[in-house]
Amino acid sequence: MNKKFYILFTLVCLSFSLIAQESWEVIAEENDNLSIIMFDEELELSGQIIYDNSCKSCHGNPEKADFSKMLPEPGDIASESFQNQTDGSLHYKIRIGRGAMPKFEDALDSEEVWNLVAYIRSFNKNYIQKKPNLEGIVIPKFSLALSFDENIDKLVVKTIGDDNNPMSEVELKAYIKGSFGNYLLGKTLTNEMGIGYFNVDAKMPGDAEGKLEVIVKARKGYGSAKTMQKMIMVQPSTFESAIKGRHLWSTAKQAPIWLKVTFFFTIISIWLMILYVVFGLKKLKKYS
Amino acid sequence: MGNKEKGKQSRRKFLQNIGVAGVGAISAPAILFTACSSSSDKKTKVLTPDNKLIEIDSENGLAIDTTDKSYLNKIGREGIPGKKFVMVIDLGKCRNERKCMKACQSEHQLKPEQHHLNVLEMENPSSGQTYFMPKLCQHCDNPPCVTVCPVDATFKRQDGIVLVDNERCIGCRFCIAACPYSARTFNWTEPRDSEEYKDITYNMELNVPQKKGTVTKCAFSADRIREGKLPYCNSACPNGVYYFGDANEDLVTNGTTKETVRLSKLLKQNSAYTLMPELGTQPSVYYLPARENS
Repeated sequence: MNKKFYILFTLVCLSFSLIAQESWEVIAEENDNLSIIMFDEELELSGQIIYDNSCKSCHGNPEKADFSKMLPEPGDIASESFQNQTDGSLHYKIRIGRGAMPKFEDALDSEEVWNLVAYIRSFNKNYIQKKPNLEGIVIPKFSLALSFDENIDKLVVKTIGDDNNPMSEVELKAYIKGSFGNYLLGKTLTNEMGIGYFNVDAKMPGDAEGKLEVIVKARKGYGSAKTMQKMIMVQPSTFESAIKGRHLWSTAKQAPIWLKVTFFFTIISIWLMILYVVFGLKKLKKYS
Repeated sequence: MGNKEKGKQSRRKFLQNIGVAGVGAISAPAILFTACSSSSDKKTKVLTPDNKLIEIDSENGLAIDTTDKSYLNKIGREGIPGKKFVMVIDLGKCRNERKCMKACQSEHQLKPEQHHLNVLEMENPSSGQTYFMPKLCQHCDNPPCVTVCPVDATFKRQDGIVLVDNERCIGCRFCIAACPYSARTFNWTEPRDSEEYKDITYNMELNVPQKKGTVTKCAFSADRIREGKLPYCNSACPNGVYYFGDANEDLVTNGTTKETVRLSKLLKQNSAYTLMPELGTQPSVYYLPARENS
């Protein structure tokens, strides 16, 4: 009974995984999405750097088919199953992820994902890049102004269009820069005043002046903007060195006082004892 | 009379000699000190025409050779100011892929049987379920290995990383005995591919080239961190097991997804624990427990 159940269970699981493997539906709009920048060697190189950092651990070395043994298979990016997909489909799948494939939307920019697509395409000699039809499409141009409202602990981002008017419905993403990655504060759309708000946790540790480095990325249609700024947003914090103070494991200079005292006291008393004995022996000789 | 004069002369000579010795004793360290402190501590990073990042001295514009041994020793000992590195390991995600181990061994010139990082199979005694646990040096804030080292070969830096200087190591293996996590390993034989590595300048942060008769251990990939990259094991993991970051920033980044999260929140929400907390070693490596049926 139990055995039968297990067999049935495995079969069900297998069929699920096969179904999952076969269909990864991409919305038509995303499927036809195209990069407005032509892929060149520079883009491929930056794509390669991202690939080595974020993708190689599963997808392996391109053209070597040495990807991780997982189900569904991660696959080789140089293989036909990858190259037969549209640029938009690759772009979508990298951004959104599924199952074991992480969602890179928050970790990578749209441009960075296009660089990855450029790198993937560099393994296909027959590839000809399709250009998007930009006729009649206006690429919005805008700039970003950042400020911090202390009263409500919110980061305020204002988008200003080319004509100096605020621009509404711009997708905004704000990050705090960390040593190894950027921490997503949130995503929002600008309101009719061209303003987007982000909550900032007041407990976050800042630097000695209470500053945090903010990165804001904005996108509307084919237009995009990015800005980086160090702003006073939280309480200043001080960091202590991990080796500060006197510890048993410190170097001789930073050894605990009691250890130093005991050590020198012991050494000096041993020497005094030896000297006392030596001089005593010397005196003995004189008298004899 | 003659005898008296002799005595006077010798006393004068003695006093003169003391004077000379005193001046020497004061001036020698002063000369040494000025010679050592002539290079300023302010460094600027610049890119060379062949795309290499080098550091130059801001004041006199002299380039610092980053492969220079004394420079590598200096930065290796000092560490990175204002940082406190931590690692979080999510046991629920580990599938024993062992890619972290391979990446670690290939970078640190280790033989297959030598581990800076080992993935162990653990069993939950009550349910009998097994899970996999990557185990590495815990980079303790109260490191017993450093306490016992008689030659200051293993040491703790200001950023919390515990390293080994294999040029000072005498191979006494006290540290191996003192470590409660069995995180250290010994080069009993000639290290892997020692012929290939023999001309490379010793880099303390990578602990390569390895040396026969010395102790070696996980370095939290200090050389990679300096470049702002995640440790080798973290980047190699396909399952998103590892988080690495700076506790002073309260941010850790996942090695696989590159997602950055708040350290305090991650630890609290997943009831994180450290290994053998009762020993008071205060590890910098946290574990998130394996979930049932995960």
